[in-house]
Amino acid sequence: MADTPDLDRYPELAQRWSRRNFIKSAVAGTALIGFGGALVRLAADDLTRAARAENRGDGRPRLPPGQRVLEFLRPMGGDAGTGKTETFRLRVHGACKKPFEVDYANLLKLPQVEKVADVHCVTGWSMLGGIWKGVQLSKLAELAEVEDTARFVILEAAHGYTANIPIKEAMADNALVTYRLDGKPFSIDHGAPVRGLVPDLYFWKSSKWLTGVRFVKHDEPGFWETRGYNNHADPWKEERYG
Amino acid sequence: MVDVKKRWRAWLRAIHRDFGYLAIGFTLIYAISGIAQNHIEDWGDVSFKTTERTLAIATIPDTTPEIVAVKTVADAAGLGTPTGHTRAGDEIRLDYANLSKVTAIVAPAGTAVTIQTRSRRPFIGLANWLHTARHKKAWKYISDTYAVLLLYLALSGIFMIKGTLGLKWRGTILISTGIAVPVLYVALAGGPNSQHDAVAGTETALHSVPVDLGPPKVAPSPAPSPRSPAPSSAPSSDPSPDPSPAKVQGAGSAVLVPLPPDDDN
Repeated sequence: MADTPDLDRYPELAQRWSRRNFIKSAVAGTALIGFGGALVRLAADDLTRAARAENRGDGRPRLPPGQRVLEFLRPMGGDAGTGKTETFRLRVHGACKKPFEVDYANLLKLPQVEKVADVHCVTGWSMLGGIWKGVQLSKLAELAEVEDTARFVILEAAHGYTANIPIKEAMADNALVTYRLDGKPFSIDHGAPVRGLVPDLYFWKSSKWLTGVRFVKHDEPGFWETRGYNNHADPWKEERYG
Repeated sequence: MVDVKKRWRAWLRAIHRDFGYLAIGFTLIYAISGIAQNHIEDWGDVSFKTTERTLAIATIPDTTPEIVAVKTVADAAGLGTPTGHTRAGDEIRLDYANLSKVTAIVAPAGTAVTIQTRSRRPFIGLANWLHTARHKKAWKYISDTYAVLLLYLALSGIFMIKGTLGLKWRGTILISTGIAVPVLYVALAGGPNSQHDAVAGTETALHSVPVDLGPPKVAPSPAPSPRSPAPSSAPSSDPSPDPSPAKVQGAGSAVLVPLPPDDDN
């Protein structure tokens, strides 16, 4: 501290000196936090590098551009539902001949599938190789006798949240209403008891706290789509924002 | 004239000071939760503290009465008396008043009991809740008022001090720097359009999707019962489905409750 001025002798310097120290501390603190964050990212890079070397069956890279791999789903917030199975009801309705409602126990009596799927969050993380159990959206469409004129599927969730999905992606083999990942139930943070799964679109399309599946003839952009996010959300085209 | 000038600047400062005091609580809420929201991709949602643990107990045969099965799982979890439960498929799920959940997945080899707890973190949980304002209502207007306060603080700050510490030198430099940072960022990053891809051809007719939805399938009439007197097996021009629970072919043993058609689909 040899270069510290004598602040008792020169009190007019005190304010400027303390400000300088504050700025130095702030810069140092910010750099430290940034450096720590960079280290965390570097540690996870092995998984990301390995995923980047792989290709999917359709020829696309396994990891979409701008994504890094995490080993688990990261909770991303949202207005959670109750998470209760006792009061859970799923409405399957809209442009269909036989709309219906099913409770949790009967949802589990529908034909079940297990699918291995990767999911990609718009904020940049991906989780690969999860085993998702549930009922295919195409099965629900079959049971509801969806009309040929349906073009989009709206996944409806607690508190009015919606996400719109083109019917092509919604009817894909790996698009589900799902209640289990890797043999475990979802926590409330991840959409318990039942959430959507549309793995080939950014993960916000896979509505948590699912309450309904609605088939529509005309597109209806949902919660995030009307707040600046892309209407389609293809991770391989980096369709993050509108 | 000098007095008038002095007076308006004094008023500007006085209001700036008082608005500054008013803004402190809001600023702490919005700034701290703003950092949390900004880093949600790194830290996830920090609003809640969640725990999860799984323990193994003996298998619970299908023939076990529901009340016994529920008690077995509740005792294993040790969270007290559940407020609700569901037995479905290979699962027994228990709900608790404090947002805790217990799920038992029963297999012949044993039962895996997953205990999940969730509690809102005291400050950041509420700050995030307020910041996102998903609940809307009065907070939307309160936070609008805060935004107006901030605008006043920013604009009045320009004129609070005169001379070289004000707009004549330091003020102009710092204001220009503050404006230049976002402008330069947008210019260098390419702006929002840099990641925009025109979405074309995302609308696909259902009949062009390679998924066989199959012909309408209706199960033969099950035996009448008080809860499911008749499934909608008979072709009908009546647009209102039978509101009684119905078994549908392809649905396994699941009972689907018919809904009336939407008004506008």
